[in-house]
Amino acid sequence: MIEVKDLKKEYLEEDTSTQALRGVTFSIKEGEFVSIMGPSGSGKSTLLHILSFLDRPSGGSYKFYDRSIDDMTDQELAHVRNKDMGFVFQSFNLLSRLTVYENVEIPLLYSDIPPVKREKLIEEAIKSVGLEEKLYTEAAKLSGGQKQRVAIARALVTDPNVIFADEPTGNLDSQSGLQVMKILESLHHKGHTVVLVTHETQTAEFANRIIRIKDGLIESEQLITPNYVLRGALK
Amino acid sequence: MIFKDAFKTATHSISHGKMRSILTMLGIVIGIASVIILMSIGQSAQSLILNQVESIGSNLIIIMPGAPSNGKFSSPASARGVVITSLRQNDINALEREPSISAVTSLVNGQASAIYGNNNVSVSYQGTTADMFSIRNLSIGEGFQFSKADVDSANHVAVIGPDLATTLFGPYVDPINKTIRLKNVSFRIVGLLAKGGIGAFGVDQGNTVIIPSTVAQNELLGISYFNAILVEANPQYDVNFVKSRISFILQQDHGITNPNQDDFSIETQADILSILGTITSVLTLFLAAIASISLVVGGIGIMNIMLVAVTERTREIGLRKAVGATNRDILEQFLIESILLTFAGGVIGIAIGAGVVGLIYFVLSTFFSIGWVFAFPISAVILGLVVSGITGIAFGIYPARQAARKNPIDALRYE
Repeated sequence: MIEVKDLKKEYLEEDTSTQALRGVTFSIKEGEFVSIMGPSGSGKSTLLHILSFLDRPSGGSYKFYDRSIDDMTDQELAHVRNKDMGFVFQSFNLLSRLTVYENVEIPLLYSDIPPVKREKLIEEAIKSVGLEEKLYTEAAKLSGGQKQRVAIARALVTDPNVIFADEPTGNLDSQSGLQVMKILESLHHKGHTVVLVTHETQTAEFANRIIRIKDGLIESEQLITPNYVLRGALK
Repeated sequence: MIFKDAFKTATHSISHGKMRSILTMLGIVIGIASVIILMSIGQSAQSLILNQVESIGSNLIIIMPGAPSNGKFSSPASARGVVITSLRQNDINALEREPSISAVTSLVNGQASAIYGNNNVSVSYQGTTADMFSIRNLSIGEGFQFSKADVDSANHVAVIGPDLATTLFGPYVDPINKTIRLKNVSFRIVGLLAKGGIGAFGVDQGNTVIIPSTVAQNELLGISYFNAILVEANPQYDVNFVKSRISFILQQDHGITNPNQDDFSIETQADILSILGTITSVLTLFLAAIASISLVVGGIGIMNIMLVAVTERTREIGLRKAVGATNRDILEQFLIESILLTFAGGVIGIAIGAGVVGLIYFVLSTFFSIGWVFAFPISAVILGLVVSGITGIAFGIYPARQAARKNPIDALRYE
C-alpha cells in the first residue's frame, strides 16, 4: 500500500539547507497499525506529511497503491487525500465557529459523495466516536478530548483506507489520550490502516510495528505485541 | 466542490462576522448609492431641461446674431458675450412677409434693478413684442399681456413673473396697475405670468420682467439691434424648410452671397434639444464617473478585509486543503465571499439610492413646486448590480489567489 524508497526531504532557506529526511526506506501493508517514533526534529512529522500527500519529497520514491507521488498533479493529490486518507492532528484543527456536524461535513464538501447521502455518513462517523449528543454543539464549546474525537470522526467520514495521526494525544490529558487511542485501535480492527506519529512510547505501543527515526534516518523497525495491559486498563 | 456548498460556506463565513461584513460592505453601499443617485438626478435634470425646451414649441425657430458655429458644442459668438448688431427691424419686416412663417418677434434683454417703494430686486428683463406671448406659450395668470399698440407707441407697460411680484409687493398685494422702476424708467404692471419655472434661454420666468422692445431698446439699452429674433413656423411647412427660407431672406437682407459668411445663426427646437440632450448626457456620465471613484475606494476596502480574512483563516485553508480541497476550491470560496459582499452591498446601495431619489423628488415637487421628473433608470440598477459584482471579482481575486496558493503544511502550522 505504502512503499517508500530512499526518501529524502531537504528544506532550503536562503543560503542554508536542512536535510529533514536523508534516505528512508520502508513499506506499510494494508490494514497495518504503524507508529513512527522519534525525538523532536528527527523528521517524523516531515515523513508523515509526505506519506499523507501534504508535501512532496526532494528525492527517492514514494508509491501509494502503486502510484508514484511524482506522477501525480496537485489536484490528484488533493483527490487522494480526500478519498483515501484521513487526518488527525495534534491541535485538532477544528473550525471553532462551526458545529460538530459541520466540522465533520468538511471533507464531504470536496468529495464526489452526493449531498443526499452525507447526513447519514456524518451521523455514523460522529456516533462511532461517541459524540452523537453533541451533533449541533459548536466546536469551540467542546473539551480537548471531545475535539480530538470530532477530528477523528472528520477523518473517518469519507471511509478512507488509511488514517494519518500526527501526535493525536499530544494536547490531551492521559485519560482523553487513551480514549482517542482506543478509537484509533478500533478503527484498525475494522480494517483501516493507521499511521501514527508520536514521541510517546505508551502511545506508540498501540501499534503492531514501530519505526524509530532519528536525524532523518530509520534507526530501527520493530514488530511488537500490542500493549494488552494498557488496553486492559481502558476497559 | 459544488456551487451550493461553496455558496453555503461563503455565507457562513460572512454571517459569522456580521459587523465586519457590514462595515466592509459600506464602501460599496455608498459607491453604488452615489452612482444611482447621481445618474437618477442627471436623468431627472435632463428630462426637466428638455421638457422646458419642448414647452416652447416644436415650430419655434431662434435666430441669433453672429456666424453659426461649426462645432456641435460651440455657440454663436453673440451667445458668448460678443456684441453683434446684425439683427435689425428690417429683418423682422422681411420675415413677416414670408408665408411659411406664422409669427415673428424680436428680443432684447438686459439686467437691471426692479424697484418698488423700498424694495429693490435685481432682475433680467426682456424687451419684446406682443407676439412673444403666443410664440413662447407664455400664460398670463392675472391681468393682460401688453399689445402691439403698446409696443408701437413705446408705452411703459410690463408683465412680470409671479415670484418677482411676491418679492416686490408681498403676497397679499395685487400688483396689477402698480408701477415699478427699471433704470429710473417707470413701468405700469399690466399682467402677471402664470407660475412656470425656468424658461428657455435660462431665464427664470418667475422673476422676469417683460416690456415692449421699443422701450427696452430706446430707453433702457440705447441700441437699435436685437439680441435674438424668434420665429414661429407656419405649421403647414416643414421646420427645416422654414429654416432655409429664413436663411435665404436674411442673406438677401444682409447682402450675403457666400453662405459661409452668414452673420446670423438659426437654431430650431430640435437643434437645441439635441445639443442640450448631449450636454446633459455627458454631464450625467461625468457625475456617475465621479461617483464611481467611491466604488473603487469601496473595492479596495473589500480587498483589504479579504486579505485580512485570508491571513486570519490560514489554518482553515490548510485544513481544507488537507482534507481534499483543491486550489480552485479555495479560490472559489474566497471569491464567492467577496462577490457576495459586494453584491449585497450593491443591492443595499440600490435600495438606499432609490430611497434618496424618491425623497429628492418628494421634497422638490412638494416644497419647491419644481416640476421634477422622478427618474430611476433601470439601466442604473443593472449597472449597479453588474458593477458591484465585477468589483467583487476584481478586488476579490487577489486575496482569493493568495488563499489558494497557500502551502497546506505552512498553513496548518500557522499560529
